[in-house]
Amino acid sequence: MFDEFRQIAQSISNEYIQNEKKKGSLCIGYTCSYFPEEILHSLGILPYRIKGINVSSLSVADAAFGPFICSHPKCLLQHFADGDYSFLDGIIVTPGCDSMRRIDECIRKTAVNLDLPVVPPFFFHYAVPHKITEYSIKWLVEELQRFIDEVTKHFSLSFSYDALKQSIRFYNQLRAKIEKLNSLRMEQPPAVSGADAVAAFVAGLSMPREIFLQKLDAFLSHLETQPYNNRVRLMLIGSANDDVELLSLIENDNAVVVADTLCYGPRLEIDYVDEVDEPLHALAVRYLNHSHCPRMYGGYKERKAKVVEAIAKARVDGVILQNIRFCDLHGAENGLLERDLEQMGVPCLRLEREYGPLADYERMRMRIDAFIERMEVRRYVCDRP
Amino acid sequence: MIVAGCDIGSLTTKLVLFDGKKVIASSIIKSKPKPEDGAYEALEQACAIATVNQTDIVYCVGTGYGRKRVPFAQDNVSEISCHTKGAFYLYPNVRTIIDIGGQDCKVISLNDRGEVDRFVTNDKCAAGTGRFLEVMAKVLKVELQELSNMAKKGNDAITLASACTVWAQADVIKYLNEGMPKENIALGVCKSMAKRVGVLVNQARIKRDVCITGGVAKNTAVVKELESLLGVTILKITNVDPQLTGALGAALFAYQKAGGV
Repeated sequence: MFDEFRQIAQSISNEYIQNEKKKGSLCIGYTCSYFPEEILHSLGILPYRIKGINVSSLSVADAAFGPFICSHPKCLLQHFADGDYSFLDGIIVTPGCDSMRRIDECIRKTAVNLDLPVVPPFFFHYAVPHKITEYSIKWLVEELQRFIDEVTKHFSLSFSYDALKQSIRFYNQLRAKIEKLNSLRMEQPPAVSGADAVAAFVAGLSMPREIFLQKLDAFLSHLETQPYNNRVRLMLIGSANDDVELLSLIENDNAVVVADTLCYGPRLEIDYVDEVDEPLHALAVRYLNHSHCPRMYGGYKERKAKVVEAIAKARVDGVILQNIRFCDLHGAENGLLERDLEQMGVPCLRLEREYGPLADYERMRMRIDAFIERMEVRRYVCDRP
Repeated sequence: MIVAGCDIGSLTTKLVLFDGKKVIASSIIKSKPKPEDGAYEALEQACAIATVNQTDIVYCVGTGYGRKRVPFAQDNVSEISCHTKGAFYLYPNVRTIIDIGGQDCKVISLNDRGEVDRFVTNDKCAAGTGRFLEVMAKVLKVELQELSNMAKKGNDAITLASACTVWAQADVIKYLNEGMPKENIALGVCKSMAKRVGVLVNQARIKRDVCITGGVAKNTAVVKELESLLGVTILKITNVDPQLTGALGAALFAYQKAGGV
């Protein structure tokens, strides 16, 4: 099971997607955790969280984006240019951050420049507010309705609130399993490594969710016999990451990532969608309130409080604050977190990295090793009579 | 009891033999494409100097970028921990270590027990590392060791606008073509190097005493510029080669792991 999740997480396509496509199912990709998959699910469309892993060259993306921008959206674009996302029937682009917003124009421009079918047949720019207020929730409800109108019109589908309510119920069941997985990795000792947990989270975004639920159930029953004793317990914070290898690099033989705030995972808490509320309003409330992302204005104190809570709950020894080069959102927030957490006595390591193939593996390895050694000395000093 | 510390860096491989009281021999060689070969050569040299057999070494710790490739090491420790161990052994009052190696630069804060408190490292490129000086020395057609003496004779340092090693190299060539004295260029190179390192030191929040380790510690012109820039006196390691501090730290870890106190 571990291997299958890793394999799916580390690949763009997989046999489950191919089987769905053979059956004639639609598959739509999206770029941001603020998009409610429930809507696609209720329409019988397979949702796919677009990944950037395994890119070996940025020949098209570097030309389109220029040099001074985060490499994550570049990798996404390169996959489109290379035809790796030809199985997608549509794409939903969200201005999660400025770099990700530029996927919108770059992908369409690349299609023209290269005369390639880079842009899937359905293309939707899904705007998400940066504030959580009554009027921004109302605005998001209208945006969700606009999406439903466009996607149903484009593919001649019919939308029903009953189907959406069923999908909301299904996703809440799925969230309960993810919550279970997240709590198991926080235990002492953790029953699952950070790499395996992240592999499960990422794989779950790239396959039919019913199959994922079944596999997650099996995964969870297998977990209780896989403890990770005596390892330094780390928390990983910062830029989006869909690369399981980053977790493996950090964990190596002597650490375990017991909590994270990474965008492709459940972040720090599992928020359920209200099943009683009007469905679109319930989705807007949940998605705008949930995601632990510095794209949201004025939310630092709340985000820090959640991090501090998770540090205590997961008995974290130290925090790695990583950001992809030119990721302004996480780069700036990591600086604040480092200042505040160190003041509270929580050791922090800041790492700036490139997204994509771990070309600077040794540079990162040395810093992480030194940080883990610092934690081990700290533990030894604390345990000393 | 004889123990060893082997530091395989990006440019040089260093080995220290330690008997629990003092360094009995050491060696510094150019790193090899195959790290294991460099480690063996460094070991042979040090053993020859100390007139001991390799089998007399009871424990070895590897460090540096090639720390996991030291074939005769029983364990490995990161160079940040090893430089800390080595520098604190030499100067127990040291609280900030500036380590400038071949391809990276680190600033380490220590606590009163000599443990790593926090550290910062260069992340963006090799500017502010030994490689920068090596490239500039090559352009100036002098040995790396000569660069420092040449800089001391300069009186009107050039300004290198770019932090990038490649662009700075182009600047140096421009100054040479304009007939600028090499001494002033060398002084400008050392000042530029000190500025890059100074940024990192300021990030780490400097605490006294400060010492410098790594190969660049031997470039007294860079150290002088750094002192002037930071307004602190930087301790110079004199009882061993400062380039050996990491290997010494590894040897001290080896001694501990072998049961020595």
